[in-house]
Amino acid sequence: MMLGVVDACFLIDWSRYRRRELLASLFEAILVHEEVLAQLRSPSAVDFASRLLARGALRLYPWSTAEEELYVQLRDEVALDPRIPSLERPDLLCLVIARRTGAVLLTENLGVLRVVQFHPAYSRVTAWTALEVLEQMVYRGLIEVGSVEEFLNIISEYCEDAKHVFSSRRMKDVTGRVRAWLGR
Amino acid sequence: MYGRGESPARGRAPKLSLAEELVREWEREDEEFRELRRRSADWKYIEGQPPHVRAALLYFIERGDRYVAAKIAGLTVDEFDELRRRANIPVVV
Repeated sequence: MMLGVVDACFLIDWSRYRRRELLASLFEAILVHEEVLAQLRSPSAVDFASRLLARGALRLYPWSTAEEELYVQLRDEVALDPRIPSLERPDLLCLVIARRTGAVLLTENLGVLRVVQFHPAYSRVTAWTALEVLEQMVYRGLIEVGSVEEFLNIISEYCEDAKHVFSSRRMKDVTGRVRAWLGR
Repeated sequence: MYGRGESPARGRAPKLSLAEELVREWEREDEEFRELRRRSADWKYIEGQPPHVRAALLYFIERGDRYVAAKIAGLTVDEFDELRRRANIPVVV
């Protein structure tokens, strides 16, 4: 079992998904910073996060002074880069938590994904969008699919519920891996 | 495009550094994502919104950035997301 750390965009979008309860089964625990929780306002996101907290599946991360220094450093490095969509403090905190704990970062934030792509210190962070989370749920038997088409139907459900679209590149990568896994 | 004193060899594409390739990939992605948001958007709904909300939704279509869009609208990210859904603008990642 893995550790996860979640940002607000992921929680907001995932809380709309009809299979949202499966998330807790994929991770030993999902860490969350209190400033991420403070971003949630919609009944669906607040209710979902509260239920996960009550079950112990979502846990508040104890933030430290050393981590605050990492945050300031990362902020200074990415804040003025026009190629990175703006990142709010809570998102950068998630990146720091992922780096420090080795937890998988759950995010729907393009800026976060780009930091992981280019930043030397953060390129070891594993970042998953809902697409990779659903892929992992298939591998771990939480969602059963017998074909790539069935997997694509699962993705369509998520896209419909969360009003999401995954990039053609990301879809190609993930369906390729699922196809190989089904044919093993 | 080329470094000082460099020029592309005739008939051969210039070799890009990893950073340049990454930036080009991001530019391609940005264009693909922008087009998906534009195509899906409910323009009638967007045009019917008060000016600050309309501006926020238009910004989101162009940049796909929920945080800045929410600030333009004077809302939290979660509150802005409700408007995004009503305007049928997908999050693209």
